[in-house]
Amino acid sequence: MIYLQIAANGLVLGGLYACIAVGFSLVWGVLNVINILHGSFIVLGSYVAYFAYVHLGIHPFISTVIAGAVLYGLGYLLQAGIINRVITAPVLITLTLTFGLDLILNNSMLVAFTADYQSVNLAHPLGTVQIGPVFLPGDRVAAMVLAVLLTLLLYRLLRDSRIGRAIVAVRMDREAASLMGVDVPRINAVTFAIGAFMAGAAGALLSIIFPISPLNGPLFLGKAFIVCVLGGLGSVPGAMLGGLVLGVIESFTSFWFGPERAVTISFALLLVLLFVRPSGLLGRRGYE
Amino acid sequence: MFTSRLSRAIVAAVVATTATVFAGGSLFAQDVIKVGAPLPLTGPLSPEGLKQKRGYDLWAEAANAKGIKVGDKTYKVEIVYADYASNTPRAVQTAERMITEDKVQFLFAPFGSGATKAASAISEKYKIPMLAPSASAQEIFDQHFKYIFSTLTGNETVSIPIVKLVTSKNKSIKKVAVLARNDLFPLAVAQEFEKAAKAEGLEVAVTERYAIGTMDHSAAITKMRAASPDWVYASGYINDLILIRRQMNDLGLKAAVITEIAGPAYAEFAKTVGPLAEGITSMSWWHPAVRYKGPDVFGSTEAFNAAFAKKYNGAEADYIEAGSAACGAVLQLAIEKAGSVDSVKVRDAISATDTETFYGRIKFNADGQVTTLQPPVFQLIGGKPVILWPDAIKAGEIKFLPK
Repeated sequence: MIYLQIAANGLVLGGLYACIAVGFSLVWGVLNVINILHGSFIVLGSYVAYFAYVHLGIHPFISTVIAGAVLYGLGYLLQAGIINRVITAPVLITLTLTFGLDLILNNSMLVAFTADYQSVNLAHPLGTVQIGPVFLPGDRVAAMVLAVLLTLLLYRLLRDSRIGRAIVAVRMDREAASLMGVDVPRINAVTFAIGAFMAGAAGALLSIIFPISPLNGPLFLGKAFIVCVLGGLGSVPGAMLGGLVLGVIESFTSFWFGPERAVTISFALLLVLLFVRPSGLLGRRGYE
Repeated sequence: MFTSRLSRAIVAAVVATTATVFAGGSLFAQDVIKVGAPLPLTGPLSPEGLKQKRGYDLWAEAANAKGIKVGDKTYKVEIVYADYASNTPRAVQTAERMITEDKVQFLFAPFGSGATKAASAISEKYKIPMLAPSASAQEIFDQHFKYIFSTLTGNETVSIPIVKLVTSKNKSIKKVAVLARNDLFPLAVAQEFEKAAKAEGLEVAVTERYAIGTMDHSAAITKMRAASPDWVYASGYINDLILIRRQMNDLGLKAAVITEIAGPAYAEFAKTVGPLAEGITSMSWWHPAVRYKGPDVFGSTEAFNAAFAKKYNGAEADYIEAGSAACGAVLQLAIEKAGSVDSVKVRDAISATDTETFYGRIKFNADGQVTTLQPPVFQLIGGKPVILWPDAIKAGEIKFLPK
């Protein structure tokens, strides 16, 4: 019976992982940019939600839109103003650039907000729902459901909207898209901004779960990276699946082998997967 | 080309040497004692690093107000700070650089047992006394080094009293579950706790360790819940402990006693955790409610508290801030007693210290660890720590949580 609880823990955790990773995956897949800023974007989203809650009493779930919008703006400006200048350069150049930008953003947050941990303590938490032997933490589950909804929304946006089709076109073939009249630099900026929106929204959702500090940035980035490689680059369903798989694997390995070994074992599984399916669970073969 | 570069190098060297001689000359003229303090001012440990800095700064200010008398000379203190960015290997390099380049005569240790142990190899090599305000792991003192001194007592002193207190007040507490961060201090203190618990006849039903940077404790907590413990003990740092307490609540793990170390001793813990902090028990090496008097620069705990509050906008010091100031106070007493700033003589004077200070009684064992403190046990009630032990400063009785 305890396995039901472990599986439920894993799925809830996995949903959060997916939400951390989806924006990162989109940017990597479409722009071929490994966005080291992603972790700090999430933290910034958490701070937006924290201040909105503490000063204005806005519930973090509502702040997902506000945090997302703030990060969308920041992401658009960064991409259009800075990253677009080297977007066609080899991946190491853009990686170095976002690494540098991350140092600036992360240290600015350290100066502005200090490294002390903050936390959103909801006045009316949803409490814990008990279904048989399984305890489900209400706020976590709600955050996960919202994260999944946002991810589905992004998926529909990419499939159904004009701009979404343009993003997918750029992802498939930059030159051909350009020849078909797609404004590639603008699509790049919009894609990066959407990635940042997802990070900001994720940050707002996570603000009710994790203590908030700029120091969490690298942790989030690390998880996004694994989920992305696991699920397949640039694929929204891939990020979703990768997150859930990672969450469930971590949950069971830490139950069986102890939490200190969970990370080692999940990395080992990742290596095995890369060996068997180099493009990830839902990735497309031959796509960089 | 080569010769011109060479001559330029020579000119530069001459200028540098002259500058050093003049600078050095002027320094000696002012009679300055230089103390090196490698600190994690950025990175994950920066909150703790800043705490140590606040303690050192307060001491330096107090010491410089009167000056440190050595023979007929009066010295001023200069603390040389450098950031090692929470990276232990860099803490070691920084300590060495401070000795060889900044020419510091004494060292204050970096944060935590791990970095202190690593840096103690450097202080030993150069025979520079190093005082540590935040290191308690036995591994440091098992090295039998002569130049490391710690103002924290051993981990057993923060484990045995709470076990004795809980078992004496509530006989129905039988089963303990332990969740420890796999890191030098948190693991060592959890192991001491287990030892103390077993010695009092408690059953340690579950022991789990989690890795540094763990983002989810649900599996461990689920396992603990299955054992239905009477007492949950978690070790780690503030972010871990916040997450653990929240996930315990999320997953319905309840226990009559919830103990977390080390985080609740910091004022920000209760504020950050909110209502879930209620009833958490913890231990601290020092608390502002203790009352001691001594010949040190602060004179008494009350005077120290007042000086701290004045400098830091009414804040209360925690054990790291007080311990850091105590490192300075002990160093100052030793320098004055040795009548010299020679590092070997001062080392011997520190080693021979046996006095009460604002921080408590200070006497080191042969390996440099203080043995004379009585670390208080406390419980968070209404967001404030209520001291449960020792009896001399007790402010309330332990409240058991509903199971």
